[in-house]
Amino acid sequence: MTDTTQSSNQTGPTVDSAAAGVVDTSMASGRFNRFDNPWLNPKLIWGVCILGGILLLGVIGQFIWNTELVFTGSTPLKLPPFGFENLRRQEGLAEFPLGTDGAGRDLLALLIVGTPNTLMIGAVASLIGMSTGIFLGFSAGFIGGRVDDVIRIFSDVMITIPPLLILVVFQSAFGDVSLFMMAVLIAGFMWQSPTRLIRAQVLSMRESGYVKMAQLSGASTMHIMFREMMPNLIPYLFGSFIANVTTAIVTAVGLEVLGLGPQRIPTLGRIIYDAINSGALIQNLWWWWGLPTALLAIMFIALLLVNLGLDEVSNPRLRKM
Amino acid sequence: MGGIPRDYIINRAITFVLTVWIAATLIWIIPRLSPVDPAEVMLGRMASGGAFVEGSDQILEQLRERFGLNEPLWVQYLLYLRSIITFDFGLSAASFPTPVSSLIAVALPWTIGLMLLSVIITFIIGNALGAFMVWERTPRIWKVVIPTLMIFTSVPPILSGLLLMWVFAVQLRALPLTGSYGLDVVPEWSLDFAMSVVEHGTLPALSIILVTFGFWTLGMRGLMITVQGEDYVNLAKAKGLRPRYILYKYMVRNAILPQVTAFALKIGLLVSGQILVERIFSYNGMGKLLYDAILDQDFAVIQGVSFIIILMTAVSVLLVDLLYPLIDPRIRQSAERVA
Amino acid sequence: MIVENTGKVVLTLKDVSIDFPTSGGLVHAVRGLSLAIHEGRRVGFIGESGSGKTTTALAVMQMLAAPGFVSNGEIQLGDTDILKLNEEEMRKTRLRRVSYIPQGAMNSLNPVMRIENQIWDAIIAHEGNVPKAELKRRSDSCLESVGLPARTGRLYPHELSGGMKQRVCIALGVSLNPELIIADEPTSALDVVTQRHVMQTLKEVQSKIGSGLILIGHDMGLMAQSVDELAVLKDGELVEHGTVRQIIENPKHPYTKQLISSVPLVGGDSFLDDSIGAPPVNRSAGSEPLLEFDNVSKTYGDVTALHPMSFSLDGEVPKIISIVGQSGSGKSTMGGMMLGFTPPSTGRVMFEGADINRMNPSASLEFRKNVQAVFQDPYACFNPFYRVDHALKFPFKRFGLSQSENHTEEKMFEACTAVGLDPSQVLRRYPHQLSGGQRQRLIVARALMLSPKLLIADEPVSMVDASLRATILKNIYDLKDQYGISILYITHDLATAYHVSDYVIVLYHGHIAEAGPPKEVIGNPQHPYTQLLIDSIPWPDVNRSWGTSASADEDTRTLAELSRNTQTVFRGAVPGFDLTIPGRLENAA
Repeated sequence: MTDTTQSSNQTGPTVDSAAAGVVDTSMASGRFNRFDNPWLNPKLIWGVCILGGILLLGVIGQFIWNTELVFTGSTPLKLPPFGFENLRRQEGLAEFPLGTDGAGRDLLALLIVGTPNTLMIGAVASLIGMSTGIFLGFSAGFIGGRVDDVIRIFSDVMITIPPLLILVVFQSAFGDVSLFMMAVLIAGFMWQSPTRLIRAQVLSMRESGYVKMAQLSGASTMHIMFREMMPNLIPYLFGSFIANVTTAIVTAVGLEVLGLGPQRIPTLGRIIYDAINSGALIQNLWWWWGLPTALLAIMFIALLLVNLGLDEVSNPRLRKM
Repeated sequence: MGGIPRDYIINRAITFVLTVWIAATLIWIIPRLSPVDPAEVMLGRMASGGAFVEGSDQILEQLRERFGLNEPLWVQYLLYLRSIITFDFGLSAASFPTPVSSLIAVALPWTIGLMLLSVIITFIIGNALGAFMVWERTPRIWKVVIPTLMIFTSVPPILSGLLLMWVFAVQLRALPLTGSYGLDVVPEWSLDFAMSVVEHGTLPALSIILVTFGFWTLGMRGLMITVQGEDYVNLAKAKGLRPRYILYKYMVRNAILPQVTAFALKIGLLVSGQILVERIFSYNGMGKLLYDAILDQDFAVIQGVSFIIILMTAVSVLLVDLLYPLIDPRIRQSAERVA
Repeated sequence: MIVENTGKVVLTLKDVSIDFPTSGGLVHAVRGLSLAIHEGRRVGFIGESGSGKTTTALAVMQMLAAPGFVSNGEIQLGDTDILKLNEEEMRKTRLRRVSYIPQGAMNSLNPVMRIENQIWDAIIAHEGNVPKAELKRRSDSCLESVGLPARTGRLYPHELSGGMKQRVCIALGVSLNPELIIADEPTSALDVVTQRHVMQTLKEVQSKIGSGLILIGHDMGLMAQSVDELAVLKDGELVEHGTVRQIIENPKHPYTKQLISSVPLVGGDSFLDDSIGAPPVNRSAGSEPLLEFDNVSKTYGDVTALHPMSFSLDGEVPKIISIVGQSGSGKSTMGGMMLGFTPPSTGRVMFEGADINRMNPSASLEFRKNVQAVFQDPYACFNPFYRVDHALKFPFKRFGLSQSENHTEEKMFEACTAVGLDPSQVLRRYPHQLSGGQRQRLIVARALMLSPKLLIADEPVSMVDASLRATILKNIYDLKDQYGISILYITHDLATAYHVSDYVIVLYHGHIAEAGPPKEVIGNPQHPYTQLLIDSIPWPDVNRSWGTSASADEDTRTLAELSRNTQTVFRGAVPGFDLTIPGRLENAA
């Protein structure tokens, strides 16, 4: 019998690795991607590129275009984009290539100023919401007991309340708000899903072998949270962040279309609000409402692509589609 | 419903009550944090607006008393809670002295009707498409078409609404631009009226359906991929069951369960989306009422509308939660585990 | 390789090859396999994961996972060429002519459908509309044929135990009297008593309907007690085929020999080599016992996981104490309490005289340094984010054992070599790039590197391939022998406990059923529960009786009665380990 022990000692690894190879191929041959690195996902790359492009429009635009044209009456009224004609048979001018609105503002300048503002609200609200979510999620998952109960029930309750309505009440009571204030207010409703997500992940990770191993290794709670758990949460956190940016922008645009939100700062939602209110649809001033709408739509599509890409990064089974 | 464990029901009921209570409290506290108390402003506006209404002074005096504006804050709060659970939100300042509740009573059926229609259709279409994307027997063409459609799913309904309005109402003039029924028909149980309602409802409903089904499709697709690999689906195949039967009774039946839970979490956002669609279509529902109130700074209406919509959301969530155990026999166990 | 047979042939495999095209080229999962299965015969397919045994079975069902396909050969079911059937014909063949009993019984039934509906839909799919009363009668008789009461049909899968679910799967498999039944490791997730019950049921219904049976498995013991013929597969090839007696008593192929010898036996030769091993080092600190349970119990709500017990283990001579029990016996709860992960409901757990649940941070760090563990699942023990050396390096530095970076590297290399791993090949890899066996050995190497006073090994080999179990156990055994580490070995496997331990505690439902030196407790059990466990273990011995379906039924009832019997049988003591049951008079010395 002693011989067998010795021989299995030698043959062991070979049997093992051969077995692993065959199992892998028979179970999920789709996992073999042309790229080994899951982060080189085409959806993710497309999404990031489009978002980057939109951001560049705002950043570079500030330097090469006259942003003074966002003020009322700085241009002729209701001019169509260059190369088009409006109902009054006015030709678009190269001076205002995307046309002008009903209050005499240049649409290109409005977009250049408004797009970063809209993105900023989304990013800041989501960032604050995420940080709160990470804090609450880890607290609930780690401390457990009463703290967990309170956080769990509170996030369950708050996820049911539509943020738009509370924000409507708030802004109609307070009147004009700043861009940053608006982001903070929206962030008040962006922490629930990350909290739930992280809590669930922390609870399952807490039982996992490697966290137990870390505990056995004398690791501090901080080490376990940030060095053992957090790295494995990264794809989820990114995904959750992007989803929250989308929701935050949708909420912000919603408020703006209701006529709330910052009153004097151009945002994409505000442009659409002005357009609808001035009957731009009936007067066929399509560039006025259409361009910000299209820009927002592209933004959302890019965010969706990033999110789908991240999903595939964290869940390889989705990759085969 | 005898099969549903009591702890589960109590748990859900507590969440419901907490939701409504917190929402009501937020609606009450927020204006009081503002430098100008909208209640005072409102009473002032009512007083000036009501100068031409007979007996307005007495009405205002009664209001002042009922809100307890001269009492300490906590008394005001309790009075507020009492009135809000009886759906008494005071009087509208813009159309003084109409009670807010009667304005809401007119608008609410339109919102609920539109919501039931669009939300249910979206849920069914979205999940069906998600299931077909994964099913191995789906024609290849569908597997190309569905992902293409999904591009639009990230766009909020308000944007798709604008686009639809422009194409169908402004350019093609095929459907009416705004309103929930034509000005030429009388609201009554007649065929003309019904036709008009359908005509006016098509675009708002479509703008919601077109862009929200994808959320369900995506979710369903992921769940179906998971379920597809489950042992019970494999055994079903080994049992020689018909593929279509396996799809419905084994795969979709199981994959739909988390979708129903997600539905409960998503209702709030769906309702917000619809409120905005109603606003741009000037649909006679809660969305328009809310928008008009914002324009008029009619605070009582804003409060009332917000509360009712939140209540509606919470009731929907409660209903979904209570119906869930009927479709998932395992809930009994997990409820015991929670307890 | 010649097997005498008179019965009709139900399945013929002629030169069957199965390929999986992958981006890395064609993988030949099965190569040139030829075999005939006769009616009424039970044929075992044995081999390790990846040997092609399940792939072959799935090819017979025409259910190969994409993109696998049969690239060559013929599969004949009776007179039908399976590979020539169209999809609808194949669908009608499944279950009616060839049925499949799956591996994962826990998850093989539709969770939202009642059991009887899952039998009815199978009948309807093959026979069209059958009246409800007839369906009911047939599902009831199906369930009764596998020893389940008819009312089981009204239940949902989550209301059944694992053994019951597997019997439902058997009932399904025989519901249409097929010519051939394929059972794919039907008992792999079950404990030994249930395993025996399920296997006896399967054998009984199979001989009643007279069908052929393919039993897929990796356990030579189970095969010896269950089948008539054995086909040994390795890397997709049939290396040996014959009657089970021929193969077990006179194996020809070295791989077959290895499979047989990798089954640990109660009694028999030890797989451990006693000759080597330096004298154990005395590492005890002072007079306090190394580990002490003082009247410890654990309850979860109304459920008592562990009834009060006391023991003390001194570290003067390192020992291996085995805690043996099936799932739910409380053995892992005990492990959790020793590691300080689970606080006890009553009593104190003490390490070198200090209560481990009341330690200040520095004492706690010292405790961690001295008490380490090896867990069951080698896949979960490594953080997927880091390379595997993180798990070895981090604690070494954390406990202040590292003198320099080079010293750490040196120690890591030493430890890996000691457990038979090539450090340069494994240490810089990510966990998913290593096999289960390699990972588990790395965890053992980690324990070796930290050189604790006490090691808790919780089912360390239950998730690695059979051929590696002996090696890893030997590695763990060496920890005691060469490095003087005391070990608590928690396991469900009596045979390995028999060989490695100095003292054995058999747990059942949180009670100690029997305790004492292994030669007594396992070699000659006195408690009815231990006896039942030993009787239920399948051995690679064709002559041994493994009971019948009726006796297995009987045993299940005995088992239920035993759960109320809280009597402990003490079988003698070993120096340095004292066990007492509080509140009992008849205690060990």
